[in-house]
Amino acid sequence: MLVFTRRRDEAIMIGEGIEVRVLRVGRDGVRLGIVAPPEVRVHRREIYEQIREANQSALAASGELDAVAARLKKAQ
Amino acid sequence: MSQSAAASAHVEAEITVSETVTFPNGIPGFESCRKWVVLAAEGHTPLRRLHALDGAQASFLALDPRQVLEGYRCELSDADRARIGADKDTPLLWLALISVEPNGAVSVNLRAPIVINPKTMRGQQVLPHDCLYPLRHILVEAE
Repeated sequence: MLVFTRRRDEAIMIGEGIEVRVLRVGRDGVRLGIVAPPEVRVHRREIYEQIREANQSALAASGELDAVAARLKKAQ
Repeated sequence: MSQSAAASAHVEAEITVSETVTFPNGIPGFESCRKWVVLAAEGHTPLRRLHALDGAQASFLALDPRQVLEGYRCELSDADRARIGADKDTPLLWLALISVEPNGAVSVNLRAPIVINPKTMRGQQVLPHDCLYPLRHILVEAE
């Protein structure tokens, strides 16, 4: 892992088009500003992890089409 | 697709079985799956099946979130739209993935819907920053 020391208003560049800038440093957190091209998606990591877990748990339902359909119909 | 439940002006987007949808980034957890098809779940409308053609073996059951919650609304960012080649007026196909919970409840992910532009046949899973819908919206309680 690359490690940098940056102060407020200083930034790092990743590749050609991605900039990560330190906007504010507080006691409990650091506020970052990120500039990236539109094809690069930027997320809080924990959000991505949540969606990933939800997707993985959704996988099993695909083998249960008949059961899921029957229960949806019954619940309507 | 049937126009029955909660049909809104935007539900028209129809995708046929034979067409491949490209997801340039895959979806979280299935990043290697770039080519998908949307299939009608035969005899079980309005259920759909989202099936990966490459990468990890992946297949999901899905529903249009607007058929789950009337008035469902998820705001796409300009970058989200650009990624699938859509503008504000492009009719899009929306799909929310269905899960069977460990306790047997059936839930649907309204937080991070799949959105497909039928004009460009490009899709993505949207990860909105300020979406208030739940990741696991219960459709059928545990038995």
